[in-house]
Amino acid sequence: MLKKLFFLIATITFVSALYACSNGDDGGSNEGEAASGDNVNATGFPIVEEELELTFFANKPAQNENNDWNDILIWNEYRDLTNVNVNWNLVSPDALEENRNLALGSGDLPDAFFLAQLTNTDLLRYGSQGSFLALNDLIDEYAPNLKELMENDPTIEKAITFPDGNMYSMPALIEEDFLSLRLSARPWINEDWLEELDMDIPETTGEFYEYLKAVKELDPAGNGNTIPYGGTAIVELVQWLSGSFGVMNHGPSNTNLDLDPNDDSKVRYYATTDEYRDMLEYINMLYEEGLIDQSIFTIEWGQFLANASDNLYGSMIFYDPIELFGEEVGSQYNSLAALEGPNGYQSYNKLSSSVWDPSNLVISSDNPNPEATVRWMDHFYGDEGAELYYMGVEGETFEVEDGEAVYSDHILNPEGDMTFEQAIAQDLTWLGSISGIIKEDYFQGGETAPQSLAAAEKIAPQVIDEVWPRFTFTEEENRILQSTGEDINKYVEEMRDKFITGDEDLDGWDNYVQTIEQMGMEELLEVYQAAYDRYQSN
Amino acid sequence: MAKDQSIQKGRGATIKKNFLRNWQLYLFMMPVFLYFFIFHYIPMYGVQIAFKDYYATLGIWGSQWVGFEHFERFFSSYYFWRLLKNTIILNLYMLVLFPLPIILALAFNELRNGAFKKWTQTLTYAPHFISVVVVVGMLVAFLDPNTGLINHLLRLLGMDTIPFLTSPDWFRHIFVWSGQWQTLGWSTIIYLAALAGVNPELHEAAKVDGATRVQRILRINIPSIMPTIVILFILNIGNFMQIGFEKVLLMQNTLNSETSDVIQTFVYQTGILEGQYSFAAAVGLFESAINIVLLITVNQIARKVSENSLW
Repeated sequence: MLKKLFFLIATITFVSALYACSNGDDGGSNEGEAASGDNVNATGFPIVEEELELTFFANKPAQNENNDWNDILIWNEYRDLTNVNVNWNLVSPDALEENRNLALGSGDLPDAFFLAQLTNTDLLRYGSQGSFLALNDLIDEYAPNLKELMENDPTIEKAITFPDGNMYSMPALIEEDFLSLRLSARPWINEDWLEELDMDIPETTGEFYEYLKAVKELDPAGNGNTIPYGGTAIVELVQWLSGSFGVMNHGPSNTNLDLDPNDDSKVRYYATTDEYRDMLEYINMLYEEGLIDQSIFTIEWGQFLANASDNLYGSMIFYDPIELFGEEVGSQYNSLAALEGPNGYQSYNKLSSSVWDPSNLVISSDNPNPEATVRWMDHFYGDEGAELYYMGVEGETFEVEDGEAVYSDHILNPEGDMTFEQAIAQDLTWLGSISGIIKEDYFQGGETAPQSLAAAEKIAPQVIDEVWPRFTFTEEENRILQSTGEDINKYVEEMRDKFITGDEDLDGWDNYVQTIEQMGMEELLEVYQAAYDRYQSN
Repeated sequence: MAKDQSIQKGRGATIKKNFLRNWQLYLFMMPVFLYFFIFHYIPMYGVQIAFKDYYATLGIWGSQWVGFEHFERFFSSYYFWRLLKNTIILNLYMLVLFPLPIILALAFNELRNGAFKKWTQTLTYAPHFISVVVVVGMLVAFLDPNTGLINHLLRLLGMDTIPFLTSPDWFRHIFVWSGQWQTLGWSTIIYLAALAGVNPELHEAAKVDGATRVQRILRINIPSIMPTIVILFILNIGNFMQIGFEKVLLMQNTLNSETSDVIQTFVYQTGILEGQYSFAAAVGLFESAINIVLLITVNQIARKVSENSLW
């Protein structure tokens, strides 16, 4: 009896639910097709005559915790200028990937994604399905600033053009000469301790090892607490040293991929090369002798900062020390350049491409006015826009002194306990992100602090000539990258860490190489080669 | 024939009568029923994306069928066996510890000193209320190779430090035992309730007959709560393969992933982080399939052996 009742109720509910669902699907698809081109001015401000409301899905970096982009100086100012009113739908970086994928998966799209770090795979997948608009013509017509940059630096166009010929995004760029920013975390060494040890700044991997060993013995922090090398992740050290061992010779954007030194028409998967092996052997030696922080694989950012403030580190790879650890500890550090390796390699390979992120702004098919949106973004590729984004409004957040833009006093020397960053976050939103183009002339932060600029100057002559942006792939290639590619990269990363800690003996190297080959190395390499060939010919 | 029909008719009439008489009870049942139906049965139609190439723009119904492609990819993946092995071992490990709360509950039940009993019970319940994130934070703080308390002690005793957090050998122990620490006391509650229902006359009679305390526990308490134990065991099996995956994820790093990589973290990574919905759905479906087979098997066995079962 009960069963029958259940069945009855079940059927009724199910049918009505289906009905509700199918009803919901029908509406809404054919709306909003009114020609938007009318309500946009081709040049100058405002961008639109009638106020335009847009909803942006945006990543809100942690430093902006306490501000609201819907009511903040910079965006209010830009709204008044452009007549485009952006409703910011803000997501914290911890939940970014999840929220972004849920927004895409549910089909409930915002008008645009801003700083949402969409991967190339997603750009193509949703772009070719029509969820994201192809921007080629729009950029051509409505983005003069970006177009000019693309003409001067062809890499930009290559980085955002997919094999189907379309561009689905507007990129976040770093001015090519703004090296200090492209370096991000860079190596530092404690100069006070060097002096105490009567040593010079290490220039070879051997000297670096000697220094670390000497620091460990000297133990300036006392009680054996000194950490000769520390960092927030082991990958920083690996990338820095790759220049001393001759791998990753075109930058870190494409995982484990660089150019074959013997044949410059071929790419190479360097994680199986002898050079890479030599590097792991060196790092393994440092780790086993206790010269690398034994907790580097699990350390949290906060713990690292605490250790650094206690002055425990002999060397590290990090951002500006004075800015982050204060004058007393920070000023003890001097910068390191690339070390010369045992086989004579000495270049600095750990720096980002000038295309920082291909997906600064992505326009969805629901956007009522793509032309105005492209113009809205394009402003930030010009000097005025860069100034607005990174410096704010003259007279309110910055002053011009001797032709140079400098933050106002209330930001540089904020009242009470407020820090410089907190003061910035009250009026501006650039902290933790790069948007449009970032230029040395219109930027004031850790990367333009004297210590960091000096480091960049020292490193500059050793920097590799060409840094690849992330390549773009076809859908078929993405399929291979997501299965074979993911598996191999995961295996390589795990084994790298095991080789470094000694959990896995380097005698097992042949086995490791063999495993990677069995996992489908050849197939993966073909994909990369095809992507590289396209990159070269574009 | 005629007899059959009259029975049918008679049944129909009884159902109707029964319903009319007890309609309030059915009404009470309705919200729960609807909840399960709307939130647990209707969404099941989405399972089909495991057999499709899901695109948000095309929708669940509109995406293309690809058959078992995603399953094949998962089964032939380099990590398939590792994921399966880790998931099963970790669950078996937890399952082996299933008797612990029973033992603790039996012990609590023997305590006569009221104040002491309350104190110990509260002490064992307390960790249950700590969030997983905090527990993992505590683990990191205690087990860190440089600053951790445990390694400090080891160093004081002149022993080598142990990289607890990055060692694949330690991961399972830390995961399972920290879990026990957190849930042990809480899991005793249901057994204590069952023990409270044991007929005191049985104990009195046994005492008169000269039974010792251990004998009384073995012969009276355990048989009395056996039905509860069996049901809880079956329910536990129902959750087999579904480990508290947030905790695994929080404790995971490249060095211990050899033992910490489980199906659920894999689904999270490929499904939510990489956005391969169809593939992740296929993997999740595979996991659920294992689950249901286990549940039915154990239920069947329990019914045969102990006459207690879920259905």
